[in-house]
This record gives sequence, structure tokens and C-alpha cells, in this order.
Amino acid sequence: MALTDADLVARVLLDDDHHAFAELVRNHQSTVRGLLRQLTRTDAALADDLAQETFVRAYRNIRSFRGEAKFSTWLYRIAYNCFREEARKRKELVGIDETQLEAEHDPQTVDPALRHDLAQALQLLPLHERTAVLLCCQNGLSHDEASRVLEIPLGTVKTNVLRGREKLKKAMAAWATN
Amino acid sequence: MGNELNIDEQLQEDRLDTKLRDEVPYIDDAGFTACVVQQLPSGRRQPRFARAAILLGVTLLASVIAYLITGGGAFLANAAEFLVAMPFASVCAIALLSGLLVTAVGTSAAVIKAR
Repeated sequence: MALTDADLVARVLLDDDHHAFAELVRNHQSTVRGLLRQLTRTDAALADDLAQETFVRAYRNIRSFRGEAKFSTWLYRIAYNCFREEARKRKELVGIDETQLEAEHDPQTVDPALRHDLAQALQLLPLHERTAVLLCCQNGLSHDEASRVLEIPLGTVKTNVLRGREKLKKAMAAWATN
Repeated sequence: MGNELNIDEQLQEDRLDTKLRDEVPYIDDAGFTACVVQQLPSGRRQPRFARAAILLGVTLLASVIAYLITGGGAFLANAAEFLVAMPFASVCAIALLSGLLVTAVGTSAAVIKAR
């Protein structure tokens, strides 16, 4: 009988059971690494480093997981915080000029060979919209869960998802007509 | 007309979400979990054997104290005398009931743990 996340967390809390925690890592590594790869713009090595940091932090702070949210939602929050700290270090979030960013990633200027790739279209979105779309549309979080992961108001999440979706649709439509 | 437009938009969004979910490839573990486990800090709690030793020690200490307080365990001798004096059928009944009680408690504990 497969153990649930709650059972595995209980074992880690009770006995510091590394085997139980390894099972949690195995269950969630793909989604966490996938999310971080998308956030880091497919820098797989950096994403994996951040994913490792995410799981180690999760282990250290597992007592603060109260089970009110899903374990995966809690992990996404840690992963996003790890990414944000790394991005701050790399000055990606400091003094960012959204207009310039959007101009830089105008679908019309993208390599035509990549135009049918939805993953590439995602990379064109500004960070806040990309993160919201990834969490809500790709990873199936509700707007409320995403607002807790990103620590931003619910309305902002909804707006970011809406705008992100619109831009994706436009990008895909523009590429389809070319 | 407006409703048709909304339904169409909704369908487009659903298709987009499905496509986004389908785009996510499963990332093979390839040693990732082992790497994470290696970095985990060692256990903060005492290992199981240490806890077992503490429990056993406390139990033994409590037994010695109880033995001394009750005047060298006189109650044990009294209980043995009482059992010897009991009819054989009563002793069998007590043994059977005790066995059933322990089995019931053990079974319920196992069922609870297995859930």
C-alpha cells in the first residue's frame, strides 16, 4: 500500500526517517525541477541546484508544515523562494524594466524555428505572469494556492494568469498564421 | 452571441491549459534523490535504540522502587498463594480472558497502524 504524503511527513516528524523523506523527494522531484527549469529559463543545472536546496530546506523546516495546504503547494513556495533569492543575487529582479523585457521578447523577434513551441512561448512571458501561469495552468494550483505560494494578493494572481494566458494565446495564434 | 464567444474562449483556455500540462515532461530522477538525501542533516533525535534503552531503564528502575516500597514484593507472594488456592477452572478462565484481551488490544493496534 503506497503511503500518502501525510503519512511520509508524519514518519519524518516522528523518527527523522530519511527513507520516508527520500520517498517524498522521489514523488515530487519531477514537478519541482520542472517548475524551476521553467522559472530559470531552462537552465537545468541551476534549476537542479535550486531543487536540491528546496528539498533540503523542506527537510529542515518540516515542522513548520502544518498540513493546511497540500505538501506540493508548500514545496512550490519553498522552491519559489529559493528561485527568488537566487534571482536577487543575479540582479534579475532588481531594477527590472518590464517594458524593455516585453520588447526583448516580442514573439515576432523570436527564431522562427522555435515558434511552434509552447515552452518557448512561456519563456517570453514576464516573470510574474510566467510564474502564475506555470503554477495555475500547468501545475493545477488554484488561484488561492498560487497566491499563498507567491505571497501576493489573490486578485494579482488572477490578473497575472489572465494576462499570461492572453499573451500565450496571441503568441500561438501569431505563430500559427506565419 | 456573447455566450458563444465566452464558450469559445473557455474552450481555448482549456485547450491551452491541457497543452501546457501535456508539455511537462517527466524528469527522470537519475540520482537526484540520492544527492538530496546525502545533503540532509543527520537526525536531531536520539536513535531508536537509545530511546528503547531509556524506556527499559526507566521500567527497571520503577520495578525496583515498587519492589522496595512494597516490603520486598510481599504482594507477589500473596498473589501467588491466592492463585495456587484458586480452583483449576478459575485459573484457566482467567488465563483465557487475559489472552483474549491482549489479542484484541494487539489486533486493534495493528488495524489502526495499517490504516
